[in-house]
Amino acid sequence: MDQASALATLAPRRRPRRRPWARIGRRTIVYALLIAGGLLMMGPFLWMMATSLKTRAEVFGSPPLSLPSGAHWENYARMWDALPFSTFFFNSVKLALLNTAGQLVSSSMAAFAFATLQFRFKGPLFGILLATLIIPFQVVLVPNFILYRILPHPLSSSGNWINTHEPLWVGAWLGGAFGTFLLRQFFLTIPRELADAARVDGANPLRIFWHVYLPLARPALATLAIFTFMWTWNDLIDPLIYLRDTELQTVTVGLSLFKGQFVGKWPEMMAGALVSLLPMIVLFVIAQKHFVRGITLSGLKG
Amino acid sequence: MTVGPARARRRTGPLASEARWAWFFLAPTILGLVLLSAGPILATLAISLTSWDLLQAPRLVGLQNFVDLLGDDRFLHALRNTVFYTVTSVPLGLALALGLALALNRTIRGIAWIRTAYFLPVVTSTVAISLVWAWIYSPEQGILNQVLGLFGVPAQRWISDPFWAMPAIVVMAVWQGLGTNVIIFLAGLQAIPEEYYDAAQVDGAGRWGRFRHVTLPMLTPSIFFTGILSLIGSFQVFDQVYVLARPGRPTEATTTVVYFIYENGFRNFKMGYASAASWVLFMIVALLTALYFRSQSRWVHYG
Repeated sequence: MDQASALATLAPRRRPRRRPWARIGRRTIVYALLIAGGLLMMGPFLWMMATSLKTRAEVFGSPPLSLPSGAHWENYARMWDALPFSTFFFNSVKLALLNTAGQLVSSSMAAFAFATLQFRFKGPLFGILLATLIIPFQVVLVPNFILYRILPHPLSSSGNWINTHEPLWVGAWLGGAFGTFLLRQFFLTIPRELADAARVDGANPLRIFWHVYLPLARPALATLAIFTFMWTWNDLIDPLIYLRDTELQTVTVGLSLFKGQFVGKWPEMMAGALVSLLPMIVLFVIAQKHFVRGITLSGLKG
Repeated sequence: MTVGPARARRRTGPLASEARWAWFFLAPTILGLVLLSAGPILATLAISLTSWDLLQAPRLVGLQNFVDLLGDDRFLHALRNTVFYTVTSVPLGLALALGLALALNRTIRGIAWIRTAYFLPVVTSTVAISLVWAWIYSPEQGILNQVLGLFGVPAQRWISDPFWAMPAIVVMAVWQGLGTNVIIFLAGLQAIPEEYYDAAQVDGAGRWGRFRHVTLPMLTPSIFFTGILSLIGSFQVFDQVYVLARPGRPTEATTTVVYFIYENGFRNFKMGYASAASWVLFMIVALLTALYFRSQSRWVHYG
């Protein structure tokens, strides 16, 4: 706020008005470049939209920059029928919600301990947790797979966790470096006096965590929730590894199957891509500031 | 006061109870570290010393898997492609994002919309994006060949052309990742105190001088941060090649280290071999990260 007003008052002094035309010219160029760049960024989305509404004859017959002759929604129906997409959506939503809930609970608990409690090995433990941020998660794919193959599962035909949804969400309940770091930073900004006052009144740490820290940390929790939802929704390699049955698959894997099934059928493929993106685009539009905050705060994938 | 009573009190007093509460709050995280992240790093190393197809018991083979990797053309191609991806996409992504952030760092009308446009690819799945780009790069009716055709450039096969395949993937990845870096740079730019620019102005610094001596040094922590993110991320490239290569599998021109791990571990069930490749990937990333952090004191300005 202060800086903005300072900038406003200083601006005339900083940029002498001797050559107003040069300034207007420069501003026009910057604008033009930014809009051109923005179009380039939006271009693939616009082209996806246009293609998804064209007939196949149009796609191959008319110039690519032409608009569709009419809205051919039948592409959407064909893509929806080609694979069990309703099931894929249900699976993706279920997994995204379970992951989000798990991350919120387990990361906030760990963050609370690191931010407010005193205990032995606090420094080293936090260091190890942060170090896992730089490990590409693919490095531990094999041991994780073997672990889930050993764990017994009462409802699975193989008797273990392979080809069930469990390996795709249970881990989210066991903490994560990104969420813990994000929430710890936020918890550290909460004045200690609040917790001290509660402690004098006889509240134990669990009550302080629940009644003081969590309500105040809502913005940071929202950021973590959105990121976890997004990562789960967009995840490809984990469902590929753990799931075999088609009816267990997620939207993202389902979409990747398209490329093999619909060779050359671009309108259907673009319709599928667009439908798979919709939940993320809606989430992004309504929660844009949380995305931005999350990236600014630590922008790391956990 | 002697040590004895203090210790005794510690075991039962408020601090001891605080520690017990801490372990309660940390229990899920510690379980996760042991079972899913830090522990498995060591497990990967152990498994990499075996030959294991999951059907029979693992057989200890020493360093044979690593020796085999060095003679495996597919692994060497994967390594070459991944390194190519890193050395091109990371600097390109950072430079473009820096330029964009400088351009976007102003209060003009409609700037929020333009920023949104730049950020949209970040939230969309790489799978969906790869499908769209497969269409853009399509040799028959793809828009890229059409547009280049207007300028008389002959049609290219892009993804299925061994020369163009990786550059095409790099362009797509840079496009997708730009928004993340731009946001971090914008936050960095907005944190630079206005007084520094005023001081530079008083000293007679021009536009370039202010950028060179104020903006750039003050932005080095952000550049360092985005650099490490991009570096680690670039070694994980998988989704793009998986989708673009379908149907079929990536050729020697597009296969990557993570694809190699996936293929050997979960298609061919060679757990020991996949673990050896994982460990090589881990060592490369750890080494580069360490070197990168050591370089910090030479070019990153804090404060």
